[in-house]
Amino acid sequence: MYKYVLRRLFLAIPVLLLSSVIVFGLMRVMPGDALIALMGESGNLNTKELAKIRKDLGLDKPYYEQYGIWLWQMISFNPGHSIFTNEPIAVSLKKSIPVTLELATLAMILGLLIAIPIGVLSATRQDTPPDYVGRVVAVAGLSLPDFWLGTLVITFAAMWFHWIPPIGYASFWESPWQNLQQFMLPAAVLGYRLSSATMRMTRSTVLEVLREDYVRTAWAKGLAGRIVVYKHALKNALIPVVTIVGGQLGTLLAGTVIVETIFALPGMGRLTVEAILYRDYPVVQTNVMLVAATLVSLNLIVDMTYAWLDPRIRY
Amino acid sequence: MSTISAEILPVEVAASDEVSRLRALWNTIRKKPLGMASALLLLVLVLTAIFADVLAPYDPLEARPEIRLAAPSRAHPFGTDDIGRDVLSRIIYGARISLWVGILAVGIGTFAGMIIGLACGYWEGRLDIVLQRVMDAIQSIPGLVLALAIVSVLRPSTTNAMLAIAIVIIPGNSRIVRGSVLSAKQNRYVEAAQALGCRQLKIVLTHILPNVTAPILVIGSIWLGNAILIEASLSFLGLGTQPPIPSWGLMLSSTGRAFMEQAPWLAIFPGLAISLAVFGFNLFGDTLRDAWDPKLRRRG
Repeated sequence: MYKYVLRRLFLAIPVLLLSSVIVFGLMRVMPGDALIALMGESGNLNTKELAKIRKDLGLDKPYYEQYGIWLWQMISFNPGHSIFTNEPIAVSLKKSIPVTLELATLAMILGLLIAIPIGVLSATRQDTPPDYVGRVVAVAGLSLPDFWLGTLVITFAAMWFHWIPPIGYASFWESPWQNLQQFMLPAAVLGYRLSSATMRMTRSTVLEVLREDYVRTAWAKGLAGRIVVYKHALKNALIPVVTIVGGQLGTLLAGTVIVETIFALPGMGRLTVEAILYRDYPVVQTNVMLVAATLVSLNLIVDMTYAWLDPRIRY
Repeated sequence: MSTISAEILPVEVAASDEVSRLRALWNTIRKKPLGMASALLLLVLVLTAIFADVLAPYDPLEARPEIRLAAPSRAHPFGTDDIGRDVLSRIIYGARISLWVGILAVGIGTFAGMIIGLACGYWEGRLDIVLQRVMDAIQSIPGLVLALAIVSVLRPSTTNAMLAIAIVIIPGNSRIVRGSVLSAKQNRYVEAAQALGCRQLKIVLTHILPNVTAPILVIGSIWLGNAILIEASLSFLGLGTQPPIPSWGLMLSSTGRAFMEQAPWLAIFPGLAISLAVFGFNLFGDTLRDAWDPKLRRRG
């Protein structure tokens, strides 16, 4: 197991290095452009000043040197300054990461809370009305865009219940109640989107597992239905579900971008979108790289989870 | 003699394969009501996009401030927006943008993914290792985030959104094609063709390629739904199609959200259009898979 973890960590390094080259290269396709746009907007396009800013930002150095500096900044957790607000990126990340983390965790929990019971119900009552309802709910979740769902939820909550989420972000530690009110709807929208694929997978794997010999043995032993389904069947049925959940981490992170924008949560997603709109490339490249690193590490954790869930898998 | 058979055989196989594939698809569509529904939905979508000029009751760009934010009525079944443009006409024209972006992005992404997958799977070795690590690296960035980053470099526009989506599609497709090529290579006829001294490129194109078209088409149809969704998301964030061009995602974000309480139809109809299109492609992808996946076909 340790060997496997080490090997996976070792393999993750070249992948991350390559993605850093891709991200860096992407941001250098038009290096001066962001600055010209920035200067142009302020109305005083001056070559002297442009050269000075370029020098301050290290853009006059050769690409490989710029890349080396950036890589070192990333590794030493000091990714430089935003060219738009001049705030150190580390500071803005420190503010925005907890928001995204909370949103993603809540969404994941809500998603699983919706998906697994409905998936199990759908499987144990195959081809009955609850099954049909569950399947329609799942397919709808795959097709409804989260930005649309978010917009509808906000509006109808306001129109029907005269309720709008409190404005102005409050962290959980400052004001737990206000914080939960702010996160409830976005996490539900994102969680529902995540739940659909998980629900479909849970249904099909539980259906498959329920036909296995050991489940029949459990029934034959006279165990209660709940114990057979939840203790014997579900544990094994969950393995492919973990794969699906693992595969959704990308969707989850991308979803936070949209949902944070709609619900005005000051998380990493919104920070990235704003940076993109202002062509603030140091922020964009840092955030995108951070997301990639998170995804690679999370995938590793997901793979580790298999071994815990299925004793037959040993690395 | 041997060269003749090597040339004729694959053509025959490919032709009969295509016929049986279409027949399998037709059978699945006929048997499964959802398959039929998805095929009809897509047909409606395609026809709407093609005949937008004929179908749209008004000019999608014509502003008539005197009827701004008018509720759905007989004259304007989906109402009008904040400057009095007909929402139905804009949605009909929006189908063009969505389909155009979807088809081109998936086409480019699938083609590039196919070339990479074929090369990796057939020649393996160092080329395979390097290209697959590059694909891993691209895949380590979530699709929407990567598309956002690409668009930020290229500047927001419909064409650039399309290119960004195409790049997002490449790695997954290349991997699927690579897998199919690796298994197709084990076939005896490939070995025979190699033994007969066929040129490598010819083996790839005539013997291996027909084996990977089914998975490519299945994954392509599922990607079409996703591509439409990503285009809508990019436009929603202001990074895709730019106003005044009618794009569903843009309609939702620009006027839909701003006037949601006064005029809910501005957000409801474009969102519904996106959902139906994505739903149609997802379902059609499922149908294609049911029809063409040999494992499922045997079972069913």
